[in-house]
Amino acid sequence: MLKTTVVGNYPKITEDRSAPNLRSALNKFDQKKISKEELEKVYQETIKRVIKEQEEAGVDLITDGQIRWDDLVTPFARNIEGFKIGGLIRFFDNNAYYRRPIAKSKLSFKDYSTVEQFNFLKQNSIKKVKAVLVGPFTLARLSKDEYYDDEDELTLNLAGILRKEAERLEEVGAEFIQIDEPCLCFSPEKIDLVDQAIKIVADGLKAKTFLYLYFGEIKDLIPGVFGFQVDGIGVDLISRPENLDLLLESASDKELILGCVDGRNTKPEKEEELLSLFERVTQKISDEKIYISPSCGLEFLPHSSAMAKLKTMVQSVRKFNHTEDD
Amino acid sequence: MMLPTTTVGSFPKPAYLVKARTLFSRKKISQNELKELEKEATQEIIKLQEDIGLDILVHGEMERGDMVTYFAERLEGFGISGLVRSYGNRYYKKPIVKGKIKRNSSIALEMFQYAQSLTPKPVKGMLTGPYTMCDWSFNEYFETRRDLVLNLAEVVHQEALDLDRAGAKYIQIDEPAISTRPEEIDLAIEAMKIVTNGLKAKTVSHICYGDFTTIYPKILDLAVDQLDLEFANSDFTNLEIFRTPAFTKEVAVGVVDVHSHEIETKEKVKDNIKKVLNVFPLEKIYIDPDCGLKTRTLKEAEAKLRVMVEAAKEIREEMSAAHVRKECCEIEKTH
Repeated sequence: MLKTTVVGNYPKITEDRSAPNLRSALNKFDQKKISKEELEKVYQETIKRVIKEQEEAGVDLITDGQIRWDDLVTPFARNIEGFKIGGLIRFFDNNAYYRRPIAKSKLSFKDYSTVEQFNFLKQNSIKKVKAVLVGPFTLARLSKDEYYDDEDELTLNLAGILRKEAERLEEVGAEFIQIDEPCLCFSPEKIDLVDQAIKIVADGLKAKTFLYLYFGEIKDLIPGVFGFQVDGIGVDLISRPENLDLLLESASDKELILGCVDGRNTKPEKEEELLSLFERVTQKISDEKIYISPSCGLEFLPHSSAMAKLKTMVQSVRKFNHTEDD
Repeated sequence: MMLPTTTVGSFPKPAYLVKARTLFSRKKISQNELKELEKEATQEIIKLQEDIGLDILVHGEMERGDMVTYFAERLEGFGISGLVRSYGNRYYKKPIVKGKIKRNSSIALEMFQYAQSLTPKPVKGMLTGPYTMCDWSFNEYFETRRDLVLNLAEVVHQEALDLDRAGAKYIQIDEPAISTRPEEIDLAIEAMKIVTNGLKAKTVSHICYGDFTTIYPKILDLAVDQLDLEFANSDFTNLEIFRTPAFTKEVAVGVVDVHSHEIETKEKVKDNIKKVLNVFPLEKIYIDPDCGLKTRTLKEAEAKLRVMVEAAKEIREEMSAAHVRKECCEIEKTH
């Protein structure tokens, strides 16, 4: 049976005017019109809604939608001693921006970034849940290095810090940990460094670990990335459709997350196209090893489109699995 | 005149207009009521620019929210936009392409004509470029991005022709997304050729969020007479790349930072202007802020522009004084 999951983030606000509105709550908090406690309540209501929407859509392995994150890197950088948060930079080729962390001095662990968020997710969900970490290389590459003057050293240092986060997540019960390394797609020459860094983060963890590569191609990463010390690899089949053939041609015993629902365009997927893709893939790879997912986080989409896409994804998988009555 | 001063396009909206736009979106006031207030605000912005002493004016974009969404919502083929977060707590309505793009009537013309009727100084006609329109929209209809960009180019061309026929001396077609995918720069260039084909007006394109290293000197092939670039925000660190090969177009240089609340000193802005005099030919330089001013308060915008205009004026005076001294010396030498 194919399973379904998501990549990470999810739209923070909805078109429904009666739903709790995080955007206006944050505005009011900035203008000191509501208290920290009132804002916190809206955060929690929003995260509960996001959990519920994924559950109702029928996704097997869910996240908390990263509702408290502004971007992929600052939630972690803010809890690392030695980072300052800098100006806005475009996030890959999206019309979306992140604040660039600047390494000003030796970096060290200051506090956990996602552990409390994970606990909240776990307590409020009836489904299996997944923790997500930025990968050490992606965090290094998206930062400005004013201290190490050596990207490898910066990456390995960050790997050590993220290791602590991963260990703590496991202690509080994380059974699935995903590490996002989109930057590796654009710098395949760094594969040995990233291999080493991922080992530092994931080696010996009992939790199931995934490495997710979105936005880019995997041409020069195969077969190398299949030797990484993780249980599964996530691949974006939308940004680079040729990634599918590369996967099918290579033999690996790793689990796969196949990003085949476009997380960056509102155009709805057709069920029959997804079904024929599932057919094609499962002729080569056992369906037990495969998760179907969007190609990246869903926050690049308006809420209504994100939700519709999740539903189409799950319905297609159920049809394929012959479990439509679930 | 040496070193003419201008601005990139948008001005902050006065509080009464922000409020009216909210009321309009909640259907509490009519389109006409909103339009009256937009015109009132435009009048104020024109007057402010004349008062500050800018040489080439803009209409201020009082009628526009997002630079892409504004046009998309007035074109056939676009569906209703959806709210998407761009950073922090900022959201924008991202247009959705649902079919072939067609223009049923002029979009930018009316406000341009109104603004130009208020002043003898030239007012720039302001458009959003086809590449940026595509890059900042969802595409549910076209097979390829190229098909969409070229369709949009035809539509923006019609907009530009209307402004040209109405006598616009300058038409600016902004392409802030052009540096997003350096591998698509040829497409953006192909599209701009369509947009500016046959125009009598001087054409300008504003480019920002820039890592110019990836698109220079290729960007010199963009079919416009002038490029409007940001420099102050990155403290002119990207200036050197424009030395070789030499810049061939006119250039509007961003000498004040629109992303900071702080008002630059006159000395700082003069220093900034002197920096670019070393790189670009004097007769091709225009002086302006980095980007649109809509994210500043009206007070901050005004203060920054006053400093900028004053700094440009002093540089001009210093240069003509130096020029006179030089001529005197040459006369003495010949005697």
